[in-house]
This record gives sequence, C-alpha cells and structure tokens, in this order.
Amino acid sequence: MRVLVVEDEKKTASFVRKALQTEGFAVDMMANGEDALLAAASTPFDAIVLDIMLPGRDGLSVLRQLRERKNTTPVLLLSARGEVNERVEGLNCGADDYLPKPFELAELIARVRALTRRGGENKPIVVRLADLTLDTVTRKAQRGGTEIELTAREYRLLEFLMRSAGRLCGRMMILEKVWDYDFDPGTNLVDVYVRRLREKIDADFEPKLLHTVRGSGYVLKEAP
Amino acid sequence: MTIRRRLTLWYAGILILSLLVIGVGTYQEISEQLRHSHRREPTAHALNETGEMVFRVGLPAVVLGLLGGWWLTRRALAPVAKLTEVVEKIHERNLREPLIRTGNGDELDRLTEVFNAMTARLDDSFNRIREFTLHASHELKTPLTVLCGEAETELRDESLTPAQHERATSQLDEFHRLARIVDGLTLLAKADAGQITLAVEPIRLDELVRDNFADAQILAEPHSVKVEWVNCEEISVLGDRHRLRQLLLNLADNAIKYNQPQGQVTMNLRRVDEFAEFSIANSGAGIPPEILPRVFERFFRGDGAHGSAVDGCGLGLSIAQWIVSAHGGTIQIASTVSRMTTVTVRLPLGAEPKPA
Repeated sequence: MRVLVVEDEKKTASFVRKALQTEGFAVDMMANGEDALLAAASTPFDAIVLDIMLPGRDGLSVLRQLRERKNTTPVLLLSARGEVNERVEGLNCGADDYLPKPFELAELIARVRALTRRGGENKPIVVRLADLTLDTVTRKAQRGGTEIELTAREYRLLEFLMRSAGRLCGRMMILEKVWDYDFDPGTNLVDVYVRRLREKIDADFEPKLLHTVRGSGYVLKEAP
Repeated sequence: MTIRRRLTLWYAGILILSLLVIGVGTYQEISEQLRHSHRREPTAHALNETGEMVFRVGLPAVVLGLLGGWWLTRRALAPVAKLTEVVEKIHERNLREPLIRTGNGDELDRLTEVFNAMTARLDDSFNRIREFTLHASHELKTPLTVLCGEAETELRDESLTPAQHERATSQLDEFHRLARIVDGLTLLAKADAGQITLAVEPIRLDELVRDNFADAQILAEPHSVKVEWVNCEEISVLGDRHRLRQLLLNLADNAIKYNQPQGQVTMNLRRVDEFAEFSIANSGAGIPPEILPRVFERFFRGDGAHGSAVDGCGLGLSIAQWIVSAHGGTIQIASTVSRMTTVTVRLPLGAEPKPA
C-alpha cells in the first residue's frame, strides 16, 4: 500500500509519515500542491492524505484538479479550520473523507486504512466473525447459538465494528458513523458503549473479540 | 425633566421678566406725563393705566410667546427624538449600517455624521477582536496537532516504563482537552463572524431527543444519576441535524455533570403554541440567582464549579446558546438553589412533513 502525504508543516508531516510507516504503508511526502499533482500523475497511490492549507495551490484546488483529471485515488482531507462548511465543501470537491486538526494518529491511520480498502466492498446481509453473527435485516445478534439482546445504538455500534472487522476504529470515526456526530462531544460515550457491548458479546464467551487499542480506538477481531 | 420643558420654563421666565421691565418702564413714562399735566393723583392713575396695558396687551403677548416657544422647542428637538429612536435600535451586529443623514449641514446632521464615524470605529474594533479570536484559534491548531501527534507517537513506544506511559497518557489527555477548547472557540468565533451556515432540513426533533435520552442514560450511569422523561411528542423542526444533536448532548452532559449522586435528570419535549419546547431539569446544587444571568457567558463558571471535579471546556452553554439562536429559538435557565435547575429551549416549529 502506497500513500502520498501532502503536508507543509514539517513536524506534522514527520509524525504522520512515521505512524503510517509503522503500520506498513509506503509513504511519499510532498510539501506543496504542485509537487503533489505531479507525483499523483506519475505514481498510482492507494490513498492521498491532503492538507487543505498549503503554500501556493491549496488542498481543495489540488483535489479539484485531481478529479478533473479523472484521478479517482481516495483522498483524506486534513484541515486546521475544521468547520462543518469546510467538510461539506471538501466532500463536494470529491474528497472521500475529512479529518479536522488536531487529530488523533490512530484516527488518521484508521481512516487511511478504510480508504485503501474501499471499493468492491459488498455488504452481506448476515455478518460473521468467529461464532458471532449479526443479521442486518432482523437486527439480531447471536453468539455460539445464544441470542444477544441489543439496544438500537448497541446494534449500530456492533454492525459498524463488524463491518470493519480487523480494522482499527478510532473514536471520532465511531462517533461519526454510529452517532452521526461531526463534533467531539468531550464525553466518554464511545468507551461506555463499547464496555456495555463487550459485556454482552464477550463476557461469557471465548475467544474475546472486541479489543481496545491503547489510547485511541477499538478493533473487532479474532486474534488478540 | 426633559430639555423641552426646561427650555419652555426658562422662556416663560424670560418673557415674564421682560413683561415686568415693560410694566415698570410704562409706569414711569405715564407718571412722568401725568406729572407734567399737573394732575392731582398721578400715582394711582398711572398704576391703573399701566395695569390695564399690561393685562390687555402684555399678557396675551406672553401667552402667545409661550405657546410659540413650546412649539419651537418641539420643532427644534424633533430630529433629536428621531435620532434617539434610530440609535436605540443599534446593537453589536448592525454597527455597519449608518444612520441616515438629513444632509442639510445643520448641527444635528453633523452630530449624525460624528455618530456614524464612531459606530464605524466600534465596528472595526469588534471585528478586530473577532478576527483575533478566529486567527488565534486557527494558529493554535497546528502546534496542537504536533503536540498530540508526538504524544501519541511516544505512547506507541513499547519500551516506555509504566510511569512514563502514565505521564504521556495524562499529557495527551490535556492536549485533547485543549483541543476541545480551541474547537469551541473556533466555532464561536466563526459564528460571531457569521461564517457558519446551517445545513437546514426538516428534522424529527423527537427522534434526536430519543437518541439523546439513550446516551444520557448511559452517561449518567457512572454518576448514579437517573434519567427520565415526562413527554416526547412527535415534533418536526427545520434545523441542522448535527448542531441540534450537539445542543442536546451539551445540555444532557451538563445536567449530568452538575448533578449530585442519586440525582435525577428529567427531559420533556412538547409543543407549545408555535414552538417545540425541550426542557431538561436536574436535581443538582442549583445556581445562585446572582450568577444565573451569567452562565451563558464564555468561560464563565460559578464559584462552585471552579476547582471542582467537573471537567468541561467552559464553552458548552455558550455554544448551546449560539445553536439555539441560530435556529431562531430561545434558551432560558431557571434555578432554585439546592433543588432544581431547568434549561428550556424553544425552537420554531418547521413545516409538517408531507404525507407520502
């Protein structure tokens, strides 16, 4: 997986690169829009992380140019302005995801990973992981043949986690997809819900499926 | 006393004084004439004649003068009254709109001109403050991103001792808190500058309240606070889904945080006239009446909240207030110390969703 990171702030660029490399991505760095366009034209990237505030040509303009050239590489926009209008504007320009600064590294990695796996994603009606099954039509969950009672929110959380099984899900991402929040509520809502969900799907069963990734998110997978 | 009344009284005084002067003058003139014609009782006669003249000519003249004066001051002060009326409508947001000048170059026209210049200067300084806050919050984001990122990178280092790990985690927590404050500030600064447009659509408010109720129950559990509702009528409003969710969560979070153990939070959503009214009550320590009007101020915290265990960015209610007013609604807070605090939000009802 090869990712292009376009960010002019050196320190941010440096830790983003480090984190993505640790996660096994090959990372190319560019510090301005023109170079980014050249790089994107010559190399097929699996995803582009694009800061909006760039010297010269800004991120949104780079994005528009990319899409005009029929380049469909998934793009994650980064922005220090972080306001709803900008998110909408970015998505309208053809961005696939948007992350306001300051962001959590885990969140960034989770999103880049989700972007690189996008496409050809089919949504099965019954989702399975080990002996846990979730029927998305009847909205019923079972583990080892035992039916599990879920509230509406717990169901949505479990469905999201199961559909992203094996991938790290950051808190902001969960809030966005499960709660429909586009702001940081400053509460431990996600953690509390995950704890409750864990009691229902993991407490009486082996192996444990719902894992906490230190400091930054959750992942649903078989192996610890 | 109004300027008009004062001027008229002064004017009346001057008129009466001049009447006296005229009376005395006339009296002297007449008695002089009589003395020349060797009449016997010049004094009494002169008095009579003077009195008659003063009453017949002087008094009507004074009355006429007074009425005229009254009318004149009223006419002269009318533009001032008009100016006052217009100035009363000036507030922080419309400082840019100048008062309309008569253009005839008189004193009041000049006053209006000076006034316009002053409001323009005021507007400039307001704008500068707004821009400053906006720029400051933007500028803070880049170093914050670096701080958060580096702290997180450090946390991923497997060789950290538990103590180092704990320190890094606590640092990261504080950075996140700072990030939330900066986020709140950016939001409010942008709102002040009119740079936020709401994504307005018909919203089933009762559904948002139900979601919020479920979250509140979960959030309240660790505090042993009970969340209940009285009513949740089916109501639609025109609004921005995300901002309304943010509003509801803000209020619920406050109601839980400022509650006491075994306390209660009660939600109520109902239709009142042309409004959707959402109220949320908590059985917390209450807010003393003297600080109640200030709770919507930015970063304002009552003495009780300072240094207490309550964690928050100090902007929650300011943001709630902005969201409500951006939706054309009102927000009110009422509190009885050591019994109950209720926040009531009223939002204008949206168009009814058309039956399919």
